Amino acid sequence: MSPDTGLCEGCQRTLEEIAAWSAMSAEEKCAVLAQLQKRGARP
Amino acid sequence: LKLPRGIQILERGWLSSNNIVLLAKGATVVDSGYGAHAQQTVALVEHALQGRPLERLVNTHCHSDHMGGNAALQRHFRCRTSIPAGEAPLIDRWDERELILSAADQRAERFSYDDTFGDGDALAMGDYEWRVIAAPGHDTHAVMFYSQQARVLISGDALWENGFGAVFAQLFGRESALAETRSTLERIAALDCDIVIPGHGRPFGDVGAALERAFSRLKGYEEDITRLARHVVKVLFTFAMLEKRSMPLAAVPAYLERVAILAEINRGYLKMAPAAFSDWLIADLERAGALERRGSAVVARS
Repeated sequence: MSPDTGLCEGCQRTLEEIAAWSAMSAEEKCAVLAQLQKRGARP
Repeated sequence: LKLPRGIQILERGWLSSNNIVLLAKGATVVDSGYGAHAQQTVALVEHALQGRPLERLVNTHCHSDHMGGNAALQRHFRCRTSIPAGEAPLIDRWDERELILSAADQRAERFSYDDTFGDGDALAMGDYEWRVIAAPGHDTHAVMFYSQQARVLISGDALWENGFGAVFAQLFGRESALAETRSTLERIAALDCDIVIPGHGRPFGDVGAALERAFSRLKGYEEDITRLARHVVKVLFTFAMLEKRSMPLAAVPAYLERVAILAEINRGYLKMAPAAFSDWLIADLERAGALERRGSAVVARS
């Protein structure tokens, strides 16, 4: 995790998002992925 | 798909196996992910525990993507660590070859364990009772955990939604490894469970369909061992690229010669010249969407 942003340096998700990922519905996962674009993740 | 209460899965990319957190007053974690992710694993487990102590860490098997975070979790949580009995001698002497570490260009921090378990043993993990089931194939010493009470199977790399972990040993002198893989799949077929939590990927409920895909893949390897050889090379190279992210294209042939397991599989089964071996591998992984060429380099896509 980046100490500056609190985001995973690989996927740009927060710790909470990674922890909850497996229990998310497809819609919830898509919503997180849409956020990642704005955070500048690799396409 | 709804998991029984008290079971949480920490699922990341394929470099790290899933970490399965079984919550109770004293929690248990199954598998610890790859070493490069160890600090994140500690943070994720801490988040999942919500202040509870981590009592025990167990491994389904001792490959780098399942035990690479063991040492870091032990340091942070002071947890008891239990591993499959068959892995114990390899961990004692830290057998880099048998543990598929440097021989495959993989790394893990050395750790020690407190005790072992084997086929038929009962383990209390989280709120449920689990039975240890031997699962030879992908790893000769691997186990699975089955809870009749929770109707859940933690399968490690013995069964995924789409396939199973590559059966390395069949290529290196253990001629029974594919037959053992078949017996392990048959043992899974005989279990009564609603959900499989695999070592990689999401949990799944349609166990019958997953088994059908697994048996069909296995048949392909049984019919033509070079299919397995090609598969193992692709798996190991993709795994290395997930860690490295990028490699100059011109460096690939020498890399394939330098990494012992890759070089031996080519010599023993595929018998390609270094440049042809590299060209085939990169083209195939590009077609599969695992890698892409970018300028004079090859880069990981996920």
